[in-house]
Amino acid sequence: MMAMDIFRRIFFGHKEEYWWMKILVPITSIFVALIVGAIFIWSTGRSPVLAYKYLFGASGLVPGPYFKQHFAEMLLSSSMFIATGLAFAIAAKGGLFSIGAEGQFLVGAITAAYFGYAKPFASMPTVLHLTVIFVMVMIAGGIWGAIAGWLKAKMGIHEVITTIMLNWIALYLIEDWLVTGPMKANVETGVSGTPYVSETAKLPIILKGTRLNISILIIIVVAYLTWFLLYRTTFGFEIRAMGYTLIYNMDAPRAAGVSVDARITQTMFVSGAVAALGGAFIILGVLFQFPPVFEGGYGFDGIAVSLIGQNEPLGVFLAGILIGGLRTGATAVQLAHIPKTFPSIIEGLIVAFIALQELIRYLLMKLFVRKRNNTVSGGSDEKAVSGGVAK
Amino acid sequence: MNLLNLSIAQMFDFAAPILFAALGGVVSENAGVVNIALEGIMRFAAFFGVWGAFIGKNPWMGLLWGLLIGAAVGVLHGYISVTWAGDQIVSGVAINVVAMGIITYLLEFVFKTTGYSPPVPYFGAAHYRVHIAFISKIPVLGAFSNLTLLVWFSLIAVGLIHFMLYHTVLGLRIRAVGENPHAAETLGVNVMKIKWFATILGSVLAAFGGISLSLGTLSSFTNAMPMGKGFIGLAAMIFGKWTPIGALLASLVFASAQIVQLLLQGMASGIAKQIPLGFYLALPYLLTIGALIGVVGRAVPPASDGIPYKKEG
Repeated sequence: MMAMDIFRRIFFGHKEEYWWMKILVPITSIFVALIVGAIFIWSTGRSPVLAYKYLFGASGLVPGPYFKQHFAEMLLSSSMFIATGLAFAIAAKGGLFSIGAEGQFLVGAITAAYFGYAKPFASMPTVLHLTVIFVMVMIAGGIWGAIAGWLKAKMGIHEVITTIMLNWIALYLIEDWLVTGPMKANVETGVSGTPYVSETAKLPIILKGTRLNISILIIIVVAYLTWFLLYRTTFGFEIRAMGYTLIYNMDAPRAAGVSVDARITQTMFVSGAVAALGGAFIILGVLFQFPPVFEGGYGFDGIAVSLIGQNEPLGVFLAGILIGGLRTGATAVQLAHIPKTFPSIIEGLIVAFIALQELIRYLLMKLFVRKRNNTVSGGSDEKAVSGGVAK
Repeated sequence: MNLLNLSIAQMFDFAAPILFAALGGVVSENAGVVNIALEGIMRFAAFFGVWGAFIGKNPWMGLLWGLLIGAAVGVLHGYISVTWAGDQIVSGVAINVVAMGIITYLLEFVFKTTGYSPPVPYFGAAHYRVHIAFISKIPVLGAFSNLTLLVWFSLIAVGLIHFMLYHTVLGLRIRAVGENPHAAETLGVNVMKIKWFATILGSVLAAFGGISLSLGTLSSFTNAMPMGKGFIGLAAMIFGKWTPIGALLASLVFASAQIVQLLLQGMASGIAKQIPLGFYLALPYLLTIGALIGVVGRAVPPASDGIPYKKEG
């Protein structure tokens, strides 16, 4: 019991009855989603056993052949999902529903590409060069996020609508203007897209023989800082107060002297800056240039990652690892004649069961709380169940 | 048909999917159920519409299949977010993500292709269009002389939903539930039933939107569908201040921004030719933000929008 208490204190930092539900609900959701996914595969006449064998075998989550490669690839893609997941979580804590990570990710990517190849910077030593790039990336992504925050705070325009619009604006301005115009690589070199970044802008490899680079270490630090920001600073306290009182138009924090308008813009800045990191990771660690056609989607998957992780930094980190693993294994499921988008079915199902958490809570409470009460005190189980469900 | 009429007709073609999605949002959010699953529902319906039309060899079968799958997804959303008072946004995200994966899967499974479905009978074919010959030469009005059935459905739906929301008891109840479900319950309104009804009707409308993408002007399903049209519909709903007429106007604004972009691009000369394509493509979205700043100001959703309802006691 003592160990559990310490575990809870470390990872949640706050006392809550049935806090273990927060862990159990996602885990149950993941298992149920895998079962439903299996039934789906089976109903289309293919082998679920084979599918999961290939999926997890190549996911880097479980040991097996080529584990080192898969593990490295998994962490590589996880770091991007964690970045966009954290971005969503930060905004969500402040009661903001930001779908803008997609655009902020792109802005981060193009900024990283520019400062990666641009002349005056390309001759800097690696440490300095990367520092410059990351600072610029976070400023650019932060500004892209802050626009939506400012429009909400000052103009009262819903953040859902502005972040959607900003995503499209970012996409078109980058793909159909910057990449094909001012930032186009020299035609003679035969490179389409932007020029490649200089050697000093490539993220250092931390596992020999793989592509695994320091992005995963950076994102671990960022995840910790996010937790610190949310739970150990006044800023975090104030934005969480906004999130809790969202349905009352954030009147309570406003009355308590929180400058809600400024906090909204700042929250969106931080959120955008973190999402942009993901864009920098993909450019500086995987693609090394901004390609003519960019395969996005990290921003939208970040929403799922954050929801699976219950919008808590540690949860987002673990969920990011899971989704990164599923995506890494995706190409392998094709061996079982299953399209490689299969993992996104699993991902969506997990989120669906997360949304059904009232049901899952209810069932889990019935399962566990009754048992405990029967052995310890007995009798009062009904009360415990309804108390837990009513939050 | 002259260029003006053609452009207006094209605008209605562009607007129909957005309008249907926006109307779906209007209905469901007036009852307090946020439905960001519009995008996913459109994807489901666009694909099942094509699948139905492929099997039944006529678009009506496609329409039926599409609407049924839309209703089914609506039931899922309702079960999660109404019956179990789950987070509506989380449920919507889930449906969108599932739609992404499952439809790609089915596309390969049914048609053995990765990007496109084979062409199927569709509503854009000449004999499924509504011909009104005598107005075809009149400027502006002539645009209405050769529209598809789905476009007409979308315009009729605006009127029907406006009537339902503001001139019937049912509509009053829907809005009451969206504003203050507890008060509505006190007055004997069955809140759960109303929310269920609005959720499913909203999803069916979004399904119409998906069908007008794949069976309206195109005759096949492409794997990129619905290309963010569901989210634009959501934006149109907010832009239109959660009313059907507002949704119509907003959809027309979005669609005309696209037309303007096409026209400018086509006719540009001199300096305008120097403007990169990206600016033209981003124009509709920039216009939207501009319009929101200047025209709409604060958009106020129904008071209990997005808050799961739990019966007391």
